[in-house]
Amino acid sequence: MKKVKKVSILLTATAMVGLLAACGSSTDGNKESGSPAASGTSSAAPEKLKKISLFQSKVEIAESLEALAKTYKKETGNDVEVWGSAGDAYATQLQAKLAAGEGPTIFSVATGAEADKFKSYYADLSGEPFAKDIAKDMALTDGGKVVGVPYGVEGFGLVYNKSLVDPKDVTDLASFTKTLEKVKADGKNGFSLSQEAYFLIGHIINTPFALQADPQDFIAKLNKGEVKMADTKEFQEFAKFMEAIKANSPNPMEVKYDTQMGDFATGKTAMVHQGNWSYGMLKDYGDLGFDVGMMGLPLAGNDKIAVGVASNWVVNGKADADQIKAAKGFLNWMLTSDSGKNAIVNEFKFIPAMTNIEAANLDPLSQTVYEATKNGQTIPWALNYFPQGIIVNDLAPATQAFFLDKKMTGEQFLKNLDAAWAKGAK
Amino acid sequence: MSTRKRKDKAWYALFTMPLLLVFTTVVIIPFLIGIGYSFVRWDGIPANPKVFVGFGNYAELLNDDRFLTSAWHTIAFTVLALVLVNVLGLLFSLLVTAKLRVSNVARTMFFLPNLIGGLILGYIWQFVFTDAFKYIGQKTGLESVFFNWLIDPQFALLAMVVVFTWQMAGYTMIIYIAGIQGIPDELNEAARVDGANLWHRLTRIVFPLLMPSFTICLFLTLSGAFKIFDVNLSLTKGGPNNATEMFAMNIYNEIFGYGHYGLGQAKAIVFFVIVAAVTLTQVIITKKREVQY
Repeated sequence: MKKVKKVSILLTATAMVGLLAACGSSTDGNKESGSPAASGTSSAAPEKLKKISLFQSKVEIAESLEALAKTYKKETGNDVEVWGSAGDAYATQLQAKLAAGEGPTIFSVATGAEADKFKSYYADLSGEPFAKDIAKDMALTDGGKVVGVPYGVEGFGLVYNKSLVDPKDVTDLASFTKTLEKVKADGKNGFSLSQEAYFLIGHIINTPFALQADPQDFIAKLNKGEVKMADTKEFQEFAKFMEAIKANSPNPMEVKYDTQMGDFATGKTAMVHQGNWSYGMLKDYGDLGFDVGMMGLPLAGNDKIAVGVASNWVVNGKADADQIKAAKGFLNWMLTSDSGKNAIVNEFKFIPAMTNIEAANLDPLSQTVYEATKNGQTIPWALNYFPQGIIVNDLAPATQAFFLDKKMTGEQFLKNLDAAWAKGAK
Repeated sequence: MSTRKRKDKAWYALFTMPLLLVFTTVVIIPFLIGIGYSFVRWDGIPANPKVFVGFGNYAELLNDDRFLTSAWHTIAFTVLALVLVNVLGLLFSLLVTAKLRVSNVARTMFFLPNLIGGLILGYIWQFVFTDAFKYIGQKTGLESVFFNWLIDPQFALLAMVVVFTWQMAGYTMIIYIAGIQGIPDELNEAARVDGANLWHRLTRIVFPLLMPSFTICLFLTLSGAFKIFDVNLSLTKGGPNNATEMFAMNIYNEIFGYGHYGLGQAKAIVFFVIVAAVTLTQVIITKKREVQY
């Protein structure tokens, strides 16, 4: 028995240490977690460019990017180390790596709040040959300097099944609701959101923001509490849309992105609120047996899809001069050489935001986005200017409450959104 | 001082110094730096200014409804989990030490869930709660019990308790088994000869002598439940509508969601103090009840 007791004390002590350690790492863990492999400073032969590292957020292009780095090595003899993509945890990891002084030479940032957050790191790219080729208003700038190159443009709106829905029947709230009811009567589902924060509320709420005369100014006023969504006409109509969706479609809290696109691909759902990126999912289903199209959410007469730049390449200005030079060299190669341009269009499948790169072989959704961009038939991505983290942290929970509580009205929902916004903008 | 004593000290230093060094650099120092950060307003970017606000962050977190709500969720979760894990762990251990034919297999089965990491466990159970439960409900007509637990605020919290219990009960079972096996047979036999029934033998002999095991198990479940993060993240992400957001997750969201590094750090310190206070109290109380024979 004595032994058991001794063991118990020992165990307790060990666990106590574990507790301390766990707390310690949660308080400061992010500073320690920079990977040792991250330094990548082993200098190569002096005549060629220094080895650089690259870290970016899009899991979808990770493999193609590594292949591109190999091509780069073959063509120029220089090294680019591509770090594994982190998906959702990207910004966290980037922040940890930069804070530890082990940041990548080239990295990606999302336009808006995230780009603002990391702006003290950016090197000036204004003088680079590729800078003049960036499409108008698409470059990431800081005080007149070009600091970031867009990945490409992306667009979202109502993605619809052309054999079930005619865009002429979806032009305003009444016709939208009628379409939902009609499809429902046929034993199918008219429309679907999904449970992920951006697909639940982040993208769909962009429309009423984008329709304001000056979205950025409106957001600034909303942050200060000078305006309310509940008092704004476009949002009142938005709430009615959400009511119609709640009444006529499955609870998005039970729908995942996979299920949403799966049901759309198999013809069980007529419309989803999604972007051109979702075509990658549809492709997995082979021949769909119908054509897909994308239109704007018909809110307050809107007929335009939302197009914007999701991500930008930037160069870490805190890296040493040789690395910055090498990083600029790589970006130049990627954006102007034939192999680089080919990779952007055909491997990454980006809709280019560069005037020197021609789009080719676009999928139907990307084609729609590309044409809308060329014709100027777009509304902006106001959500890029939302306070950091507000969609996931505040707007999504409020929306979950709306969809879970059958009795909650759209009006109440708007008030909750206002309250959530006030908290998130603090 | 004799050479022998000095030699002993040298050995002592040789074995403790490396550990002490590691412990200092990866726990003590970051912890102290963390306390420092809790007094500044900062977004976590080294280049951006850190503004000293004194106890401002601590004052702010007292008015943070969401933090206080998450505290309530954590307490509710911990109490439920503590009871369930230990009751089940104890039952399992009594079952598998009862000389049944299947006791070895049962022991393995009960312990197995503990070998699966919390994140994966969360994803597996997410599937069980969303799809399997719904299916069972539709097939059996018991839809008031078998529905998607994860979209109901109260049931989502219960779902967390179920998963945590499933993971931890086997682990506490092992500790209880060790304790039960440490109780000499003659005590039980003597009691039996004296005419004590099973209940008396359990409450008068087994449980008092199991107190050291209770101390460990209660401590492990208490601190484990308080600090829960992985299952929280993978099973519910704190939803629906933040109804299952626990302490650790709230801190994570404050720091990485909002970029309020200082405030999040202050929360982490408060969190540490609470966890340390609660678990120490528990250890002291249960230690006092440990008996020698």
